[in-house]
Amino acid sequence: MKNAKRLAGVLVFAIATSVPTLVYAQQPNAAGRVKVASGTAFIVRNGTQVAAKAGDAVFESDVLRTGSDGRLGVTLKDDTRVSLGPTSEVRVDKFTYAPAEGNLALALKVVRGVAAYVSGRIAKLSPDAVHLETPAAIVGVRGTTLAIRAGA
Amino acid sequence: MTDPRTIAPRLVVLGLAAAAAFAAACGPKNVAGPIRPDGALIVLLPDEDGSTGRASVSNPAGTADLTAPRNASNVAPNQRPGVVTMSEADVKRLFGDALEALPPAPQSFTLYFRFESDELTEESKALVPKILATVKGRSAPEVVVVGHTDTMGTPSANFALGLKRAVAVRELLVASGLDAATVEATSLGESFLLIQTPNDTPEPRNRRVEIAVK
Repeated sequence: MKNAKRLAGVLVFAIATSVPTLVYAQQPNAAGRVKVASGTAFIVRNGTQVAAKAGDAVFESDVLRTGSDGRLGVTLKDDTRVSLGPTSEVRVDKFTYAPAEGNLALALKVVRGVAAYVSGRIAKLSPDAVHLETPAAIVGVRGTTLAIRAGA
Repeated sequence: MTDPRTIAPRLVVLGLAAAAAFAAACGPKNVAGPIRPDGALIVLLPDEDGSTGRASVSNPAGTADLTAPRNASNVAPNQRPGVVTMSEADVKRLFGDALEALPPAPQSFTLYFRFESDELTEESKALVPKILATVKGRSAPEVVVVGHTDTMGTPSANFALGLKRAVAVRELLVASGLDAATVEATSLGESFLLIQTPNDTPEPRNRRVEIAVK
């Protein structure tokens, strides 16, 4: 019972810190934000490659890309965290986070290189709403930290 | 930094050595072996709280379940994925750069209010410096402030009260030095109770503002 209450509390908090009715919303449509950027790191949006820096917004359909000396770390709105080592590329194919309406979706594709993934609230609330893949494999997650390498 | 392409052959050597050393033991393999250019290597790692989740790795030929720390699947096209257990040293060598670039986990705080007011309790006021320190220790911080009430009064009045509380906390944080552009305030009124109660029930633990620092 105590645990059930605690779980309820956690869920309430999870939903509470994620409502879309923001009073002081900066970029309500952003999927997340760059927290770590070093070396050569880019966000590719609509085919245009822009140098990434900490604080930059990340949107659905963006591509995260690093050069041979680059690293990039992003925290998404549902607290999912994704990072890239050098010479890597990750596509944010889909991001929908409206838990009050039950709309949850996350699709990430590690196109090449190395990435780390720590699941967020979408994976907790609805594990099947998370789609993680590389060109060679599809990964199903159940609240998880993963390291992923696509290709040699 | 070591070029990963030079690591793969080294892993083969390590793999052969390990295989020779542990052939009799028949334990799990300690290395994942070379990764194919058209393949993938997926490794399950422990979460920050020390527990380990689960993951499955699939390709058209089959599925492998990763269930223990550093369980790894080295996937090659048209071959059913298998599972090995990687050493911590190999994980660090292959994935250290990406793992070091992971942003820190978001941190949450809960502040409590006096009855029907937007004034914080003394204990909660004392938490503010810790919140500020957490925000200032972060790269590109974001702060999400969500106001809640108990079930005394109407839902619409409570939405307004929750918002008043969130805005009061936001203003307090901004006055204390946080960048206004990084702090969001919103209300959930009485719709997400921390402690479930009937309507019109005073409950101090429901009169709260939840703050997430990301």
